[in-house]
Amino acid sequence: MAQETMVQRLPAEQMFQKEINALIKAEQDPIPTGWKMSPKSVLTYITGGKAGRTVITPKYIGHKRLVEIAIATLVTDRALLLIGEPGTAKSWLSEHLSAAINGDSTKVIQGTAGTTEEQIRYSWNYAMLIAQGPSPEAMLKSPVYHAMETGTIARLEEISRCASEVQDALISILSEKRISVSELGLEVPAQKGFSVIATANTRDKGVNEMSAALKRRFNIVVLPAPADLESEMDIVKTRVTQLSENLDLNASLPQQEVVEKVCTIFRELRLGATLDGKQKLKPTTGVLSTAEAISLLANSMALAGSFGNGTITDYDLAAGLQGAIVKDDEKDSLAWKEYLENVLRKRGAAWSGLYKECKELN
Amino acid sequence: MGENLQRHQSDQADRTEEFQGDLADCKGGPVLFGIRHLSPAGAWNVRKLLDQVKPQLVLVEGPSDFTEELEVLADGKAKPPIALMAYTSESPVRTLLYPFAEYSPEYQAILWAQQHQAECRFIDLPSSVFLAFSDAKENSEDVGEEERISVYRRLDELSGEDSHETFWERTMEHFSEGDGYRKGAKAFGKQLRELTEGRGCEDAKNVVREAYMRRQIQEAISSGILPEKIVVVTGAYHTEGLRGGLPGLSDAECKRLPMVETQKTWMPYSYYRLSSRSGYGAGNKAPAYYGLLWQGYQKGEADYAARSYLSKLAFWQRQNGNVVSSAEVIEAVRLSFSLASLHGYQIPALRDLRDAAVTCMGHGNFGEIAQAVADTEIGTEIGFLPQGVSRTSVQNDFYRLLEELHLRRYCSVTADELDLDLREKLSVKSEKAAFLDRERSFFLHRLRVLGISFASWQKVQQEKATWAEHWIMRWTPEAEIEIVEAQLKGDTILLAASFQLKEEAEKEEGIAGVAKMIEESFLCGIPQMISYATSILQRIAVEAAAVGEIAKTVQSLSLVIQYGSIRKLSGEALVPVLQQLFLRACLLLPESCVCDDPASRELTESIGMLNEAALSHEFLSEEEWIAVVKELAKRDDLNTRISGYAVAILLERGQFTNAELALQVERRLSKGVPADLGAGWFEGLSQKNRYALIARMSLWESLDQYLATLDDEEFKRALLFLRRAFADFTAREKSDIAENLGELWQLNPSQVSEAVNAPLTQEALGMLEELDDFDFGDI
Repeated sequence: MAQETMVQRLPAEQMFQKEINALIKAEQDPIPTGWKMSPKSVLTYITGGKAGRTVITPKYIGHKRLVEIAIATLVTDRALLLIGEPGTAKSWLSEHLSAAINGDSTKVIQGTAGTTEEQIRYSWNYAMLIAQGPSPEAMLKSPVYHAMETGTIARLEEISRCASEVQDALISILSEKRISVSELGLEVPAQKGFSVIATANTRDKGVNEMSAALKRRFNIVVLPAPADLESEMDIVKTRVTQLSENLDLNASLPQQEVVEKVCTIFRELRLGATLDGKQKLKPTTGVLSTAEAISLLANSMALAGSFGNGTITDYDLAAGLQGAIVKDDEKDSLAWKEYLENVLRKRGAAWSGLYKECKELN
Repeated sequence: MGENLQRHQSDQADRTEEFQGDLADCKGGPVLFGIRHLSPAGAWNVRKLLDQVKPQLVLVEGPSDFTEELEVLADGKAKPPIALMAYTSESPVRTLLYPFAEYSPEYQAILWAQQHQAECRFIDLPSSVFLAFSDAKENSEDVGEEERISVYRRLDELSGEDSHETFWERTMEHFSEGDGYRKGAKAFGKQLRELTEGRGCEDAKNVVREAYMRRQIQEAISSGILPEKIVVVTGAYHTEGLRGGLPGLSDAECKRLPMVETQKTWMPYSYYRLSSRSGYGAGNKAPAYYGLLWQGYQKGEADYAARSYLSKLAFWQRQNGNVVSSAEVIEAVRLSFSLASLHGYQIPALRDLRDAAVTCMGHGNFGEIAQAVADTEIGTEIGFLPQGVSRTSVQNDFYRLLEELHLRRYCSVTADELDLDLREKLSVKSEKAAFLDRERSFFLHRLRVLGISFASWQKVQQEKATWAEHWIMRWTPEAEIEIVEAQLKGDTILLAASFQLKEEAEKEEGIAGVAKMIEESFLCGIPQMISYATSILQRIAVEAAAVGEIAKTVQSLSLVIQYGSIRKLSGEALVPVLQQLFLRACLLLPESCVCDDPASRELTESIGMLNEAALSHEFLSEEEWIAVVKELAKRDDLNTRISGYAVAILLERGQFTNAELALQVERRLSKGVPADLGAGWFEGLSQKNRYALIARMSLWESLDQYLATLDDEEFKRALLFLRRAFADFTAREKSDIAENLGELWQLNPSQVSEAVNAPLTQEALGMLEELDDFDFGDI
């Protein structure tokens, strides 16, 4: 146990072991082949609720329906593709889905520009291959291969970063549901329960367009930014609290109104409208995700803890906001100025401090 | 066919048994059947019940004075969706609508009666009383409605669905055969009653309505029809209140009911209108989908609606050039069933279907299939009625307004002219008469917006006379049809015109288009639409990036604000948008001024418009504008013509001192600056406020010095541009310049003037033409 606490980050199934066990114990509904619990329990695990007397913490806040669609997709043995802007908890959701369904979220392939077809299918221990020729012992199975054998779920992160020939390697796996090892004359069929959860970014540089053929093999769920201010503030506060515990930041947690200010500005610029919907705004080119809001606040805490008096001031916030919103595009600077003049300036006393600090920087 | 019929009959025998148990609770009284309005399952089950009971008399919830209108349905020519409408004869026009779709239980009950020669009657309060009630209701707070809404909200929470519509669909609409539907509706009606009874005036109205319906039922029984041979079809809420025991409304009470004079008519209805404002509280957001459910009942296939919904969606997508494979449709069907089972149901509801379609056919984006969804769920179905059946409230409103505005005599088939003067007439006494022409103008503009060809608007010659209008009026049968069609948009001319403007404003994508809609709203005199269109403008304005378009919009809004008063409308609501657009133009302007000469002409125009607006309205930031214009005047990398024009504006506003001007002239016209740029700058400068320019001696001195520094080649080039700059100066202005030059060169001003104004000799023209062909690229 002592060792575990030194680990920077535990996989989901270990971090929430108790909850998973409680759900399995309290199970009442039929369980699909290869699953550890029923679809309903998976839903409870992700969106929160109760299992017997154990409280299940919500892992994904808001958009319960999308989680339902994702689970229903996996029940039909279809592959699931989670698409969204950076910072919308795609990998987070994929990890927790596989943790709840299989109790194992570690069969992951991280897609990069350097990912090869072998990493999706299988590769060889070349020393053994040369010494003994092809043999089952010399074969290195990929996570997808393992998942097929065991009838579980493999995760593919950032699929759109892979080159298109690597993406294409997935097509045959997903449609035939078998993998052929021609060197050994083997045909490995996927066991019941096998599926793939892939994630992809929509708004990023250096991504490859996915082919229609591959897209057709997935049910696609688009994860949006949090639906309303309250749930976004919820997410931000929960994560900032967790982060500050981990990182030992010497600052008090951001006050409610600070979180509200950051979330409000982020939401308004992201949605391109004021929260009351009365005024439309020019959105920025940057994404301004919830994840960025979280790191902005953590950053401000670090600033305040290291160089200030330990509480986040408007001055700290303004610097963070400027950096997050005006990235490198001249247009963002225009949009930010327009926002300051048209919206922030007219917001009254509570906002005037922040307005002044931001105005200073522009 | 014969086999089918047989199966049908044996089916029926089974169901008879099912009904038997339930019918027992009506013993001694008529058979009560509670329904949801616009419910396919209800329509199906009501027919089953009628087949079984074979009543002599069918009583349906609906204003009793509508009974006589039922004849229209007898010949089977009318095709739903159609609606029965009652409206008050007096203004303000109020309407009462009873829309029927093919799958309305009421409609099917009426059809059954007509097909089986049974009598059919409406039994609710007459429309005249209903409409009198709605007058009274305006003045009281309705608590009952809130209660009812909170009941629905709790239902949403308990069912774990997004809306009670989905709950209803799952529990009531999906093949609830025989007993199930009736019992479910009864239980729901009963509980809703318990929760809302005795609260609010909606409930008070219900008490009266039910008493009246009981009276009708009792009358029918006392006329000698056996109670068992009477079927009563009403909303589920009312069945409990119609059970025997309670007395009906007495004669004396009937006399005390409020009444207004009403007219009645059938009118064609549309699925679109059914979905947006059905007239019933129940609502029916997806009429076309409910139509599919109805077909499913007739075919006896429980999942018919699910399958055909997704296939239709795919079909629509393909028709419109999107690729949807059959595999995707199959996957969508599978996913929808999987979603339904996650909630513990067998058959997917609309919500599951739509989400499955988004996931499998829309690649996760609702936007990709939004139009297909609208078409599949709402559809474009429009009802049909035999000719001559309808006399709608809009028609009535039209003729009433003709009378009121003294326009009756123009209602003839020969064209007639009408001149309007919108200004207040001071010679008349009543306010109404003083503004008669303005009211007429509003009315005629509303007709024009609705595309009713009764009056056509002729542009008046005098351009800025905003108070004069010229119309040509002519009534045609086509115009009459257009008026009836307007009924689908609203109950009165005003409402229909508002709806039309709203639709059009929502469709517009450019800011100039929306500004046009704002102008239209002003012409039609509909303040609500002005503010609505303004909010749309605000939304679109954010995307506007072309200074020219923004400037044009700024100008037209500015005009509306300035001259709106002639129509007695305040442009106050436009101020924030105008401010926003103006700020945006200020921010965009400097960068857009890096452009070529043709574009600069347009931009100087835009700058002029913006300047005009800045001058006319105090709420536009003067400071900001001057700062921008100063930037334009001082930057070297912009089109020089614009820089020159900016200087002219600053000079006109007294924001530029002589010293600054001299500095600019020297800088812009110094040797080394290409001659075309210098001349362009001067051309821009001379576009505005020439007298002030001519009077500034220092300017001409600088110009003179500049010309002296040029060598021959450069001079030739400058000559061309300067000639252009001075081309549109009048002879008088040229003389004044000549006077200046004469003074400068110590010559006789009149001689110079003569030389300047004299027509060019052939030789000189030839030289200039040569210059035109001159290749400046070599210099």
